[in-house]
Amino acid sequence: MNDFVSFAAESLPEILQALPVTLSLWALAMAGGALLGLVFAWCRVYGPKPIYLAATVYVEIFRGTPMLVQLFFIYLGLPEIGIVLDPFTAAVVAIGLNTAAYQAEYFRGAIRSIPSGQMTAARAMGMTQLQGLRWIVLPQALRRVIPQWSNEAILELKYTSIAYAIGVSEITAKAEEIGYTTFRFFEVFVLLALVYIVLTSIVAQILQFVESWTTIPGLRS
Amino acid sequence: MEAFNSVVISQMPFLLGGLWVALQLLALLLILGLGLGLGIALMEVYGHWTLRWAGILFERIFRGIPALVLLLLFYYGVTEFIELSAFTSAVLALGLRSAAYQSQIFRGVIQAVPAGQMAAARALGMPKHKAVFHIILPQALRQAIGPWTNEFSSELKATSLAYVIGVVELTRQGRYIISSTQGNVLLVFAVVAALYFVANWLGNQLLYKLERSLALPGFETRRDD
Amino acid sequence: MLLQVENVQKSYGDTEILKGVSLGLSRGQSKVIMGPSGTGKSTLLRCINHLTLPDGGRVFLDGEELTPKNINKMREVLAFVFQDFNLFTHLRAIDNVQIGPEKIRGMKKKEARDLAMHELERVGLADRAHAYPAELSGGQQQRVSIARALAMQPKVILFDEPTSALDPELTGEVISVMSQLAADGMTMLVVSHEVNFARQAADEIIFMEGGEILEQGPPSKMFVDPQHKRTRQFLDVLGHEERGS
Repeated sequence: MNDFVSFAAESLPEILQALPVTLSLWALAMAGGALLGLVFAWCRVYGPKPIYLAATVYVEIFRGTPMLVQLFFIYLGLPEIGIVLDPFTAAVVAIGLNTAAYQAEYFRGAIRSIPSGQMTAARAMGMTQLQGLRWIVLPQALRRVIPQWSNEAILELKYTSIAYAIGVSEITAKAEEIGYTTFRFFEVFVLLALVYIVLTSIVAQILQFVESWTTIPGLRS
Repeated sequence: MEAFNSVVISQMPFLLGGLWVALQLLALLLILGLGLGLGIALMEVYGHWTLRWAGILFERIFRGIPALVLLLLFYYGVTEFIELSAFTSAVLALGLRSAAYQSQIFRGVIQAVPAGQMAAARALGMPKHKAVFHIILPQALRQAIGPWTNEFSSELKATSLAYVIGVVELTRQGRYIISSTQGNVLLVFAVVAALYFVANWLGNQLLYKLERSLALPGFETRRDD
Repeated sequence: MLLQVENVQKSYGDTEILKGVSLGLSRGQSKVIMGPSGTGKSTLLRCINHLTLPDGGRVFLDGEELTPKNINKMREVLAFVFQDFNLFTHLRAIDNVQIGPEKIRGMKKKEARDLAMHELERVGLADRAHAYPAELSGGQQQRVSIARALAMQPKVILFDEPTSALDPELTGEVISVMSQLAADGMTMLVVSHEVNFARQAADEIIFMEGGEILEQGPPSKMFVDPQHKRTRQFLDVLGHEERGS
């Protein structure tokens, strides 16, 4: 046990050196995914038929195929048509596009769960559809979506590890590196697992806090 | 179009071989996950509070670690103690993780069975374990098919991660083909993606049919679309 | 004529809900539309402000025709009070009233706030300004929704069965607000079963049945000696219910 502790004390700082990479990968992908997800959700709720169909195709493809394949497609495949991305950017794009598809579905569900009378009242006052969305429907829908969004955020945090497969130096890659130099694979990966557990617990706690901080009486999830 | 013929059609047997490996991996990990997951769920609902906390701890750990890391942990790490092939490592790693997710599903559906059902069974003099087996589970498991379908889809996609530890499943076959035919990356990965998509769709259809065939009057399983 | 409704028609599939309805409101007039359920009264109201698009006919507000192009601007001054209140669930009462002037009219926050407070006082709910809709009774919610409509300083207010979703004890507070508005000279078109309000506050009763206007006239005539038998039948029954038999 002491052996493990001393090993951990040495290796942990090294692993954490790569933490900013993991976190920025995650933050960028989630932010991009949220924006894109909102757009696709709009397409699926309010869009005319062709736009609705296009958005549906997107969502089905990105939710129905493995993220690793999407990552390889973007990093290894796009150069064939002249789009060359460095590993980090490719990972952000792949994870971002993937989470956008899932978030689109969560946003869509949340928007549709808001009684139609809310938008009707907004339109009756003279608001445009966009104004009604911005001030009336979305503020309520976004509160409703927090539990599912939190799950998605934590899932994607864990999925940042796939970036390792295309050479991004995030924490999983770092841990493997340490494994190869010390040959203490079991211990380093246990350590890595602990890092992820702590990370996800912290994020879960923060999002839980956000949920209670934004609760409004009468607006149950 | 020629590329389609020469590459895709000629290499399809390899791709299908990879898919077959993936499906075997999927089946085994799901079975492991189901048995263990159901056991943990029952433990958490009906067991002593210490067992309950053990279950929650298991869930917390195996859901808090990325699948990729679990794969690496088993293949590189556990093999320091026991010799494990890549395929076995994958089954164990993904299976244990699936157990954590499935136990959550089963716990949810078991707790959703109205309390009156157990009360009526006990009132008849049925011992607890029989009540669980004959009354609770038949109802709960029907309800579980919906969420379990999501888990199925999730794990099918997760099998692609076994690539990282060298299992020659569908994704790895794709990469082999790309290097051996020197190019056609977009095409090959598009086909690989399509194969996953179709497998996923078929699986979902089968599970949906299963759900329908088990339906009972007055007992609609709610499906959120 | 402040509000002019010309020959509005609406069908759903094969069913003709509105068979060409025309009516007009002068400034300061209050008219109440009454009739059996399902005769298209609510549909008519929703067609007037294009919440439901009519299949035929035209609507004019202050001489200007309502078109898809100007509908948002028109709705700013053509207020609508719903049967289900439809208060914005995530906003406190004061914010519900304030949001229109502030975000749609572009008023400064402080001005909009003061205006909102003033309207809440007008409907008697200044003390509940900071409550959320879920914390208010049905009658209070409806009064807030009236305040929300008033804050936009409308030319006309359309009321769609404003008390039908309320418990009987709560209808009084809403009716008294509406009566006061009528007395103050607001131009109002109300769909309602509330006979007392119609009798006291309405300049004219419009009786609708089967998707068309059967008869219209002042309360003194409609309740006492209407022309059509159907009108007499319907209003008589209503009258009896109101007298608590």
